[in-house]
Amino acid sequence: MYNELIMDYSKLKKYKGKIEDATKVEEGKNLSCGDEITLYLKIENERIVDAKFEGIGCAISQASANLMIENIINKSIDEVKILIDNVYKMTRGEEYDKSVLGLIEELKSIKDYPMRIKCFLLAWKTLELSFK
Amino acid sequence: MLSKNILSDFPALSRTIKGNRIVYLDSAASTLKPKPVIDKLSKFYLENYANVHRAVHTLASESTQMLEFSRKNFANFLNSSEHEIIFTSGTTMSINLIVESLVRSKMLNENDIVLTTLVEHHANFVPWVRLSKLHGFRVEFVEPSLRFGTLAIDDFLKKDINPKVVAITGHSNVTGQLIDIEKIRNIFPNSILIVDGAQLIPHQRIDVKSLDIDFLCFSVHKMLGPSGIGVLYGKSQYLETLEPFLYGGEMIDKVSVEDVTFNVLPYKFEAGTPNIGGIVGANYALEYLNNIGYDEVKKHILDLTKYAIEKFRNIENVEVYGPLDESHCGILSFNINGIHPHDVAHLLDEKFGVAIRSGHHCAQPLMNVLKSQSRLSQFPNSTCRASFYIYNTYEDINILIEGIKRIKEWFDV
Ligand SMILES: Cc1ncc(COP(=O)(O)O)c(C=O)c1O
Repeated sequence: MYNELIMDYSKLKKYKGKIEDATKVEEGKNLSCGDEITLYLKIENERIVDAKFEGIGCAISQASANLMIENIINKSIDEVKILIDNVYKMTRGEEYDKSVLGLIEELKSIKDYPMRIKCFLLAWKTLELSFK
Repeated sequence: MLSKNILSDFPALSRTIKGNRIVYLDSAASTLKPKPVIDKLSKFYLENYANVHRAVHTLASESTQMLEFSRKNFANFLNSSEHEIIFTSGTTMSINLIVESLVRSKMLNENDIVLTTLVEHHANFVPWVRLSKLHGFRVEFVEPSLRFGTLAIDDFLKKDINPKVVAITGHSNVTGQLIDIEKIRNIFPNSILIVDGAQLIPHQRIDVKSLDIDFLCFSVHKMLGPSGIGVLYGKSQYLETLEPFLYGGEMIDKVSVEDVTFNVLPYKFEAGTPNIGGIVGANYALEYLNNIGYDEVKKHILDLTKYAIEKFRNIENVEVYGPLDESHCGILSFNINGIHPHDVAHLLDEKFGVAIRSGHHCAQPLMNVLKSQSRLSQFPNSTCRASFYIYNTYEDINILIEGIKRIKEWFDV
């Protein structure tokens, strides 16, 4: 699980922090370890123009959050919803559209670690909540 | 080390995963099961099993006898009477049963005080907090004042109150601290004393009479037996008057449309078909432990703990929680600065075959206490936890320590 990409992305600083003029702020929790995430989204004309997150967590959750943000900035909400859908399919071991996932696919073996899926999905669940 | 070689009784320990032999350090969550216990239980299921207490046929009689024999052995074990031993599904159910029955019997009323601590497992915390909201009694919390979540006896003395109930763990599932129940009883001679023995009973015989414990709860899956079965000891003076928590078959005497009367103890608190195999298997586990000898079990675990604490002391950037003296038993919670417990646990498993637990260990209030004292750059709201039992060795601890050192190198801390 702990390949170079995950280790690198887990330490990324670029997407960490607060967006002062965020249009959406959403909080998520992982009940098994008490980790929390705050996701800041700046949405203009149904398009995510900026995103950042705060919170500490394990390498998997941090890598996942960083990869997620990298992949949603400058995407429309509809495109992001398709992305989320494919991410969920990947974690369940179902068929998914590789073309929309990009580097996120490097985490596909997460489906074999039932206890770590919660870590991986923390950011994604929070993102999904922010559209509800 | 134990005088008897028991490792071959635990086939999981000779398995290898990705080339590493399994080092099982998660017994505080649940212990492995010895083959002799499983073999006897399997024989029981295959040859003697039927429902208990109802039918007159041979299988029912055998099952009933074996179930009651288990009760008798647990009564001997705790120095109680057989009618004071109630089989439940586990510690969680036992504590919920007590709280609910106390409330229904009006033994816990508005303005009564329940004293518990901030080191409790949620099983001995959430029922009090939630039911206080519904029924108006008050809950007070003893705060641990010594290093990283360690309780001092003085912490109890600071509480200038007269609690109706004192509900406390006998052995913390996070800090590994053994609590001096005798001293607590002396501070609160008139309170109803409830002891969460989930972590204590797996390595210690408790005499409920000499310690004057009113209720004692534990789970058999943490002491080599099946899961889904637990023991609730209750002083008969309370059990006689308490309203049962579960109503149904077997717990009744006369039933009519006007009202019902209850069966005698302990059946009054054992509604429905019990976990028959669980109760019989519990006895096999107890016999297995008695065969080794409880004193030997305890000494073995303390030796391993002492060894592990010494080893941990020499690793930089690692925080070990709980006491550092001989009150620390069997359970070692720690954090490595800058590495999340889930990462540590995952890598220990994947690269070294070491099974530890990571998370908040169902003790969120205690995580807040640890966080407030932690010197880590960021406390992750959870810890790593290695826990030891009879089948562990010094070599297991060496492998754990080696693994931790390597993980630190990978993460560069
Ligand atoms: C101190 C303590 N209390 C209560 C429990 C709950 O036990 P069970 O899950 O068997 O009901 C545990 C075990 O997880 C524990 O360690």
